[in-house]
Amino acid sequence: MARFRKLTVTDVHNTIRDAVVVTLQPEPGEEAVFDFIPGQYLTFRRDFDGEELRRSYSICSGRGEGKLQVAVKRVEGGAFSNWANDELKPGAVLEAMAPMGNFHTPLDPSARKHYLGFAGGSGITPVLSILKSVLAEEPGSEFTLVYANKAVSSIMFREELEDLKNRYMGRLTVLHILEEDAQEIELFTGLVDEAKCKALFEHWIDIESVDTAFICGPEPMMLAIAKALRDHGLTDAQIKFELFASAQPGRLPRKAVAKGSKAGKGTEATITLDGASRTITMDRETSVLDAALAHDIDAPFACKAGVCSTCRAKVTEGEVEMHANHALEDYEVERGYVLTCQCYPLTDRVAVDYDQ
Amino acid sequence: MKIEDYLAQGGVLSSPDNAPPRYRAELLRLMATFVDSELAAAAGFADMINAGPGIPERIAAARIVMEKTENAGRVLRIMGDFGANTDRYVGAHPWADRLAREADIGATRREGDMRLSVFNYPLTTWADSVVMHLLMGLAAEEQLGEFSRVSYGPLAEAFREIAPIEAAHTLSARKGLEHLIDTGTDRAALQASVDYWWPRVAVSFGREVSSRAATLGAFGLRHQTNAELRGCWERRAGAELEGLGLTAPQG
Repeated sequence: MARFRKLTVTDVHNTIRDAVVVTLQPEPGEEAVFDFIPGQYLTFRRDFDGEELRRSYSICSGRGEGKLQVAVKRVEGGAFSNWANDELKPGAVLEAMAPMGNFHTPLDPSARKHYLGFAGGSGITPVLSILKSVLAEEPGSEFTLVYANKAVSSIMFREELEDLKNRYMGRLTVLHILEEDAQEIELFTGLVDEAKCKALFEHWIDIESVDTAFICGPEPMMLAIAKALRDHGLTDAQIKFELFASAQPGRLPRKAVAKGSKAGKGTEATITLDGASRTITMDRETSVLDAALAHDIDAPFACKAGVCSTCRAKVTEGEVEMHANHALEDYEVERGYVLTCQCYPLTDRVAVDYDQ
Repeated sequence: MKIEDYLAQGGVLSSPDNAPPRYRAELLRLMATFVDSELAAAAGFADMINAGPGIPERIAAARIVMEKTENAGRVLRIMGDFGANTDRYVGAHPWADRLAREADIGATRREGDMRLSVFNYPLTTWADSVVMHLLMGLAAEEQLGEFSRVSYGPLAEAFREIAPIEAAHTLSARKGLEHLIDTGTDRAALQASVDYWWPRVAVSFGREVSSRAATLGAFGLRHQTNAELRGCWERRAGAELEGLGLTAPQG
C-alpha cells in the first residue's frame, strides 16, 4: 500500500515566472527511501478544502547533486500547482511517496553512448535529471537535448543548461525550438513535429549514433517524435516515454453525492461501461460484478477476491456495501470507488460507472 | 489531446496517473492473465521436478519453476503500481489446482483465476510435460512478441525482459524432447501427448473474433488478432514437430 512520508521544504525559487523549483529534505533516517533513479517522480498529497488531492512531479536534480528537487509549473486552474507557486515557503512540510517511475536507463561509467532527449515545456524536469546524471556519471557519453518552448521567457532552467554546456564542454548540445520567438536559424522556430524532427536529423543530429532517446512532453509532440525516431531506425526498446502531466485534471473533482432510499429486496442497478448504460434488476446476495456479468455486460475483473483492483468502478447513485477491500485506498473509497466483485447493493437503486 | 486519441495513434503511457479508467481495467486484466498463467504454470510444473529422469532434467525443471515465478513477480509489481495488493495476490488462490485430464472447458476461465484455460489441465508424465512446454512455449513466444508492444511502457519493457527467458524455457523443452526421442521413448506416447495438448494450446489464443479486439486495439494493447497469432504458432509449432518426427493434428 502507498505510504506517504514527510519532506521538509528547504528552498523555493523561481526558474521562470510561472514555475518554482522546490528543494526537499527527508526526515532523518529516511534519506535512503528518497534515493531516486534519474527520471523518476514524486507523488504528493495534500488536502484542499477537506478533499485529498494527489499530484506527481518529476525530480529535476541529478543523482550526484545530493539534493532532492522537483519543479512545479503553474497550470491554469490547477489547485496544487497554483498553491505551490503562490504559497509554498521554506519550512513547510509536504507529504510524498517514495520515488516512482520507469523513465530511465541504467548508467554505466564505462559507457560511451549518445543520448537524445526531447522535452516540451515543463517536460524538461525528468530529462534534466537524466542528462545531469549521464554527464556526471558517464564521462564517455554525450547528450543532445531538443527543448521546445513557447518563447524565451518560458524556458525553464535556461541558465542552468548554459552552465552545464560550459561545464561539460562538447558533451552537451542544446537545441532550443521556440514556437513564437523568431530565431537566427529558421529551423529552430515553430513546433517540434515530424517534419521538424526529419530536418533536425538531416543536419543537426546524427540520428544513427543515438543509443537511447527520451521524450517527455505533451501528447501530439510525443507521437510525432516517436514516429520520426522509428522511421529513422530506432526500436521501441530504445525510445523511453514519459507523458507530460497535461492530462491530469487540475481542478478539484466534485465529490459523488450518493442518494437513494433503503427498502425492499431487489435492486435496480444501472451499469455504465464504454459509454453505454444498462439497467438490470438484481438481488442483494449477488455482487454488482456478477450481476453485470450475468446480464452479458463485459465488465472488467480478474481475481474476484478484492485484491487486484481490475473491477474498480465508481458508485454514482445509491449505496453499496463492500465486503473485502485489499486494493483501494481510503481516499478512493471516499470518492465513491468500489471493487465491484466485493460490493452488494443496500438500496433500491444503484448506479455504477466503470468509465470514471 | 484526449488520452484515448493519443493511445489510438500509437502513444505510450508511462504512469498509472495518466491511465483512463477503462484502459486501466483492460491493462490490469491483461496483466492478471499473464501473472495467473505464470503462477499456475510454475505451480503445475513444480510437481514434475521429481519426475525428471536425471539430475540435469531436474535442475532444468527447477529453474523453469523459479524463473516463471520471477516473471510473474515482474508483472505483478506493475499491477501493484495500479493498486493491486501484491502481498495478498499470490496467496489468494490455489495455483496448483487442476481439473481432470478429460475435462473440456474450451477457453473458459475458472472463478477468481485468469490463467489461460490450458493451465487448468494436469500433466501426466515427464514426457507429457515436455511436450506441453514445447507447444505452449512456442505459443507464449507469439503472445510475448505481441505483449512487448503494449502501450503501457513499463509493461512493454517488462515483457521485453521476460521474452528471452521464456524462449530459453522453450529451447530447453525442445532439447528435452530430442533427448527423449534419442533415448527411445515410445513415439506413440509422445504423439498422444501432442494430440492432447495441441488443441488446448490453440484455444489459449482466444476466440477467432474477440469481442474486445476493437477496444484493445484502440488502447494500443493489441496489434495483431488472435487468429493471426495462432496462425504463426501453428506454422512454427508444426515445423518443429515435423523436425522431431511428430505430427501436428489437423484442424
